[in-house]
Amino acid sequence: MSTTSADTKRSARAAMGPYGHVGKLVDELDDRFGVAKGGRVLLDKIFPDHWSFMLGEIALYSFVVLLATGVFLSLYFVPSTDQVVYHGAYRPLQGQWVSQAYNSTVHISFDVRGGLLVRQMHHWAADIFTGSIVVHMGRIFLTGAFRKPRELNWTIGILMLILAIFEGFIGYSLPDDLISGTGLRIGYSIAESIPFVGSYLVSFLWGGRFPGDIIIPRFFIIHVLIIPLVLLGLIAAHLGLLVRQKHTQFAGEGRTEHNVVGSPMFPTFAAKTTGFLFMVTAVSALLGAFAQINPIWQFGSYDASKISYAVQPDWYMGWLDGALRIMPSWEFAGWGHTIPFEVLLPAVVFPGLIFTIALLWPAIEQRYTGDNEIHHLLDRPRNRPKRTAAGVAMFALLFTLFAASSTDVMANFFHVSLNATLWFFRVAVIVVPIIAGFVTYQLCREMQGVHGIGKRKRAVIVRRSAQGEYTTVPAAPRPDDERTELDPEPVPVRIDIEPLGNGDEVRQPAVSPTGVRQVTR
Amino acid sequence: MSDADHQPSRTRVPMPMAAMSDPHMSDAAQQPARVEMIIAIVFVLALGCFVLFGIAYTQNWDYWTLGGSIGAGLFLLGFGLTAWGKYLMPQGPFVEERHTLRGTQEERDAMSAALVERTAVVVKRRKMLGGLFAAGAGIFGIVALFPLIRSLGPLPANSLEVTDWRRGTVLVDSTGRRVRRDTLVPGGLITVYPEHTVDPRTGFITEDGQAVDQTVLLRLPGGPFTTMPGRETWTPEGYVAYSKLCTHLGCPVGLYEQELELLVCPCHQSMFKVRDGAVPTFGPAPRPLPQLPLMFNDDGDLAAQGPYDQAVGPGFWERTT
Amino acid sequence: MGSVRAQTTRTFRTKVLLPGGLLAVAAMASLAMLIPGAAAAGHSDSSSVDISPDQVTTKACGTVSVKGVTGSTPNAGNPFLSSSKTCLNGSLISYGNHYITYANPPKAFVDAGRLLFAQACSSCHGSTANGVSPDGTATIGPNLQGVGAATVDFWVSTGRMPAADVKAVEAERKETRLTAVQALELAAWVNSLVPSVPAVPFPHLQGADQSAGQDLFSLNCAACHTIEGSGDALAFGTNAPSIVNKSVTAQQVVEAIRTGPANMPRFSGNLTDKQVADITSYVTGRLQHPVNPGGFSLGGVGPVAEGFVALLIGVGGLALICFWIGERS
Repeated sequence: MSTTSADTKRSARAAMGPYGHVGKLVDELDDRFGVAKGGRVLLDKIFPDHWSFMLGEIALYSFVVLLATGVFLSLYFVPSTDQVVYHGAYRPLQGQWVSQAYNSTVHISFDVRGGLLVRQMHHWAADIFTGSIVVHMGRIFLTGAFRKPRELNWTIGILMLILAIFEGFIGYSLPDDLISGTGLRIGYSIAESIPFVGSYLVSFLWGGRFPGDIIIPRFFIIHVLIIPLVLLGLIAAHLGLLVRQKHTQFAGEGRTEHNVVGSPMFPTFAAKTTGFLFMVTAVSALLGAFAQINPIWQFGSYDASKISYAVQPDWYMGWLDGALRIMPSWEFAGWGHTIPFEVLLPAVVFPGLIFTIALLWPAIEQRYTGDNEIHHLLDRPRNRPKRTAAGVAMFALLFTLFAASSTDVMANFFHVSLNATLWFFRVAVIVVPIIAGFVTYQLCREMQGVHGIGKRKRAVIVRRSAQGEYTTVPAAPRPDDERTELDPEPVPVRIDIEPLGNGDEVRQPAVSPTGVRQVTR
Repeated sequence: MSDADHQPSRTRVPMPMAAMSDPHMSDAAQQPARVEMIIAIVFVLALGCFVLFGIAYTQNWDYWTLGGSIGAGLFLLGFGLTAWGKYLMPQGPFVEERHTLRGTQEERDAMSAALVERTAVVVKRRKMLGGLFAAGAGIFGIVALFPLIRSLGPLPANSLEVTDWRRGTVLVDSTGRRVRRDTLVPGGLITVYPEHTVDPRTGFITEDGQAVDQTVLLRLPGGPFTTMPGRETWTPEGYVAYSKLCTHLGCPVGLYEQELELLVCPCHQSMFKVRDGAVPTFGPAPRPLPQLPLMFNDDGDLAAQGPYDQAVGPGFWERTT
Repeated sequence: MGSVRAQTTRTFRTKVLLPGGLLAVAAMASLAMLIPGAAAAGHSDSSSVDISPDQVTTKACGTVSVKGVTGSTPNAGNPFLSSSKTCLNGSLISYGNHYITYANPPKAFVDAGRLLFAQACSSCHGSTANGVSPDGTATIGPNLQGVGAATVDFWVSTGRMPAADVKAVEAERKETRLTAVQALELAAWVNSLVPSVPAVPFPHLQGADQSAGQDLFSLNCAACHTIEGSGDALAFGTNAPSIVNKSVTAQQVVEAIRTGPANMPRFSGNLTDKQVADITSYVTGRLQHPVNPGGFSLGGVGPVAEGFVALLIGVGGLALICFWIGERS
């Protein structure tokens, strides 16, 4: 009796076990790496569903976009300030002396197919990267997610913000165009202003006098290798801590300090987050396709004796530019030395103070509230009016400074005197944060006191009796306001999605696995 | 409860099969065929967009088609996948227990004990060795920084103070043309460099010429004037020259308002009164722009009487007035 | 007025007499370039580039004020850098080269200009344009004697004059109340009082070097007008106007460069006619027709606008997507 090939196949398949090829793979991996136990835990990992938890993902995925587009750009960019004569597609530059760095960037923009798209995607993704870090940081701050045990994660996050800002500044200075070169000159002067070490610092970093010929190659390697490596390490640490300590979550039904409630890693969260990765990339691509950013060909190659009016740095440096503009000209000169306070205070001391406060905030709050408990449940911002007001005041200060960096554009737009506009901002930078903080505090207190705030009010039916008496009866709640919410339960071993029978008959489970509650929103 | 705290989440009860109508699925899963068709259409559209991108690239079509197709395709792909996850996969709420990270008091004590006792072996018995090692490592840490920092560049010395202007250096414009009596009329302005820094054949200007020596030359109406005491001879025929480097942060001060006789720095809007020695009257600049003393040489070219009498540009620690 | 005859006369003047007259003048100038030592009265030798201002005031061309006259803004182009000058009966008709030709308006315009000036300008500038009112006090408007034809043509053809608000810090460009011919008539009359330079320029931009123009623009002009030419506010309520505004003509660009209106510096001997033509070609050929290969230019304002778009549309849009993906409560 010879066995048929079908028999062989069937018995081979039976020998493989009930889970087929995947089961075999799991077996082999488990033999080598012990993935079965830990892997199952990973698949069951719970991610809270609230939308504000995805803001950090915007930052993560825009960083991925930056890496990918950056690799492309690094294959064309020439990090050198050697002067060459431009002979390329953009005619108004023909025959001019330009640096190699500028030349290669214009080459990418005009002569490399798809180059301009990738370049613009890279720059848009950089703005989105820093923006989403700030928004994510705001969410963490306002909900108190930085409290014990997550102080280190907060610190890592602030460090990443600082690195992201430097990375962006260095990145848009690489093309060595007129606008970014002016920013470099300003950066040089700021570093130079530091007492004792300033002139040494700039002479070492620039390899001599400004502009020198080594700063662009140095910036290139810092931008392409050093900072990305550090950022990758910090991101790994940031996410690792997140895995180890698990997410925080908002308070709610079934949510305690001892659990995490949400959707499972596999397949739900994996699908959503991968889809989100594509959408972040798509937003960078669509912006890069339809909105022009940093058109360096219009600016010309950097010449230290040329300048344009109405120049600002990229948005995440705007607050520094605003601070520099409104600062009065207090410089100390005496006993053979000069301390330029008009540069030091707004551009060195002030940002140093801001970031130090940010880094130390968990300790500051812990000292102020005396709260050394572990917290996994988040605060609602309105329940912590002082913290929320402080955060809003800080944001208002930084936003006012950012607005102050375009005093000339505003003076032009509103047809007011430039000098008056500057004085307006000198006053506003003190007044606006105070008012913002105060108003926020009052709003939070009010919101705490109002029952059912944010919820839609239940309608009321007014009845008039024959005697003329008025009575009110609450109306039935709207269908949208009532929602079935389940008790949270552990992720089941098997989620077997049965396809429906014929078309659209809905099959009710025989036994509802969990309790079902009516919840009025 | 402490045992359960230490265990990772495990299913305690095998669950029955969950149908699409299970409360753990979203409402839209009640009609999975419809949702599936919508997502399928989205994926097909995404596919089409990518094909369009491929064609647009190879055929070198316009920029908007190239970027728009890949952007739209990525967006549709991501949207479809996300919708799949949101509408057709189990949503929850599922729970995961947090096992407390902290150990028991015994475990903590054991850890502390291990650290303290094992360190004691080093410290108490072998203090000298430990100290020598620490000293060695510390010194290494310090000297390792030397090449990392010092080799980066030269010491500043007087590089921040000295320009190339000397007595007799002729002023030239950006094309290398010498400045003469009739180059400017009152109300005119030009950027000038020392003659040897500009190559008239190629238009190439040296780096120092651009960055440090750059000077703004103006002509004011009314003939020679005195900007500050001691500078009576510095402005022949109304020509006056100032360092173009702003004393705030080094931007070139190229913005001149001739009726107001005001030089305005475009970066942070410091304003300098030209007739009074470029004294700053508004904005963050702390010091007047250094003035270059001028004279007409025997050939009728405008030349410097000598170098700047102070360091040009922004302030720094070693700067003396 | 609506009479056909008046309109025909005006059309004839605008479309035939004016260009015809100036073309004839320009033709004479060009011819004069080709024929050294021409018989035309008062033509002087053209080869030298470095002619001092004194030579211009020789009897060969009548009296032409270069350094400026009493009172208000003295004005001078750079006739000494031209390759030729044409004079007739002792007054300067035109000068220039194949980059820019400068020509004074025809003599025929002087009478009309006098009448027009009396109506439209004398209330602020005085009946003889000298900035003095009948009772001897200074008028609001400055002394215009000796400013040259280009200055008057610039201010009137850009609509800045007649001034809408005499108390404004700076007169802004606006809808012109007077026609191009009327501007030239005024220029002719004012120039006839005290002849001066620069005359009205006619730039010849074909073959101009836009790259050299870009280089010069970024060194001399971008500091006030911005590198993209969009203009911006300056000190104490003054401003540098936008030059990407398409109503800015090449002639007006040259006039502004050579005459230095209001707070703008005056570029005379420091820019040759070739350089001015290059800059003008860059402004009218490139800046006014920007090529934005990367998409919408977001107003050309720079990183502030880009930041708003990145934050509101980029991060904001993605946050909305998060809102869709996740839960709300």
